[in-house]
Amino acid sequence: MARLELQRVSKLLANRQVVLQDIDCTVNDGELISVVGPSGCGKSTLLRCVAGLDKITSGDIRIGGQRVNDLPPQQRNVAMVFQNHALYPHMTVYQNLAFGLRVRRVARAIVDARVRRTAVRLGLEALLGRYPRELSGGQRQRTALGRAMLREPGVFLLDEPLSSLDIPLRAEMRRELSALHTALGTTMVYVTHDQSEALSLGQRVVVLADGQIQQIDTPDGIYKEPSNRFVAGFVGWPPMNFLDGDWLENSGLDAHCIDYGIRPERLLLQPSSSADAFIAGRLERIESFGGEWQVEISRNGSRVIARVAPNPELRRDNELRLWFRREDLYAFDRATGRRLQG
Amino acid sequence: MSAKGVLVRVSTYAALIVMALATLFPLLWVTSIAFMRAPERFAGTPPLWPDHPTLVNMVNIVHQQRIGYYFLNSLIVAAATTPLSVLVAGLAGYALAQAKFRAHRLVSWIVMFAVLVPNQALVLPLFEMFSAVHLINHYAALILPAAANAVSIVLIQAYARGIPADVLDAARIDGASEWRTFFSVVVPLMAPMLAAVAVLTFVVSWNDFMWPMIAMQKVDMQTLPVALASIDREHYQNIGLMAAGATVAILPMMFVFLASQRYYLRAVSAGSLTD
Ligand SMILES: Nc1ncnc2c1ncn2[C@@H]1O[C@H](COP(=O)(O)OP(=O)(O)OP(=O)(O)O)[C@@H](O)[C@H]1O
Ligand SMILES: [Mg+2]
Repeated sequence: MARLELQRVSKLLANRQVVLQDIDCTVNDGELISVVGPSGCGKSTLLRCVAGLDKITSGDIRIGGQRVNDLPPQQRNVAMVFQNHALYPHMTVYQNLAFGLRVRRVARAIVDARVRRTAVRLGLEALLGRYPRELSGGQRQRTALGRAMLREPGVFLLDEPLSSLDIPLRAEMRRELSALHTALGTTMVYVTHDQSEALSLGQRVVVLADGQIQQIDTPDGIYKEPSNRFVAGFVGWPPMNFLDGDWLENSGLDAHCIDYGIRPERLLLQPSSSADAFIAGRLERIESFGGEWQVEISRNGSRVIARVAPNPELRRDNELRLWFRREDLYAFDRATGRRLQG
Repeated sequence: MSAKGVLVRVSTYAALIVMALATLFPLLWVTSIAFMRAPERFAGTPPLWPDHPTLVNMVNIVHQQRIGYYFLNSLIVAAATTPLSVLVAGLAGYALAQAKFRAHRLVSWIVMFAVLVPNQALVLPLFEMFSAVHLINHYAALILPAAANAVSIVLIQAYARGIPADVLDAARIDGASEWRTFFSVVVPLMAPMLAAVAVLTFVVSWNDFMWPMIAMQKVDMQTLPVALASIDREHYQNIGLMAAGATVAILPMMFVFLASQRYYLRAVSAGSLTD
């Protein structure tokens, strides 16, 4: 177990393209932090830098207080679960799990005991003799996880470990991962491009875009207090609506140099108080999700989505008003995207 | 199966059988001649089958011509060349495929260029070099030049590109050194291609003629093909004796190919490396 500190970490490629820029982040001992961002923003590179698979251009990485910049992966006391599992295709599940211990010359009897204990914990005991190609996606996932667990690392790095699984299995593995973290108490960095996964799993969340940290906060903090327009639009589903001047012409708000945003679940069919404002547009689309509807209204070609309770009175192509409380509006500086408070 | 399917299948097999016969026929004929008596072998074109099979040619080639001696020379050279060459080509091919280093492109070009250089062009410089270090007439003169084979390196490089980089990274994170990663992960994954290269190396070494003829000037050190050629010169038109020599020379290759057939075919039909 160890604390992971990144100080002004930057990574440039040979062609001087910046992949990571001034990453400052501390993951506390035993904390599960998730890193989320769009494809290509540098998430995998960040993990590979921590693992020692890629060299950083500048900055410092410390694991358990020790500066590891110049240590090879073998000596960094980290374990990594790869996006595509990266199991050894020519080894059985047992051999895959045992490899790291065998490499470190742990006695055979101890290896055997630990492999079997981990296999039981992950429900792999019946599969120990199988080869990776004979496993389902979930079983491969568990094997990759087991292999990393057996290292008993100071820091656990997970690179989109669930992305290759189907949705029900993903939810199940997510719960298992969470339980596993509670049981192991290991420092974990969990990378995903799925914002809901990041929020549900991480004790804190790092939002990354274009190789730069946009915000580090608790899931609640990220959701309620996004620090800029990017985070606000990236976190939450459906994404936050951004309202340009047209939408707000009868609200009395100053839309000059300011972008306003509102989350779809904060738009209401009825005003909750006399102070509420509304936006109005033509009802374009109603999508039913069982207990909830998503409705889309449009005005001059721009669209707004709201999540509302099912309401049989709504008619397509009618004018619809959506009400909101003024304090639910988010304001962003149009030039910088930074969130404006108050 | 449709009538057309049957037709395609029948003609495919017919073509394969014809090709197999065309390949096997000379081998079978040579073997057959090796067991013929003297009168038969002087009757112009030898018959396909001996009327009175005999071992006299075999006995002759073993006792008078000491073929066992040359056989052993060839075997020592091929048996030493093969593992050495596979190891060198395995390391070099893997490094060129997966490692990041400065001179990567330059080395790749040099290897590709080496593929294009004909062996005959190397004979003279090789002779100068090995004379200079007094290794002419030593096994080393045949083993060392064959230890680094550009064709083998290129074959292995192409195959090693298929090894997923993440699997190698996983081994490093598991704590394996570069050597351990090579022997525990890379070698097993490349096994089919390594086996194919081993067979190829063995066959090339076993059949090699020009350089062994020049490098091994002492009769005692000659390899089988060189010795067989001189038998031909000394016993002109003794077809039976020649055939017996050729038959003996074929045996180890048959053995090597049959023993490694399984791996060999897997590499040729390019198996997938991913899980
Ligand atoms: N070896 C490389 N050569 C060239 N560019 C690279 C290399 N590795 C990464 N990059 C670039 O660095 C950036 C970050 O890549 P990275 O793989 O870290 O993204 P990611 O956030 O993990 O994306 P994804 O969600 O798709 O996995 C990308 O723009 C990518 O093109
Ligand atoms: Mg990635």
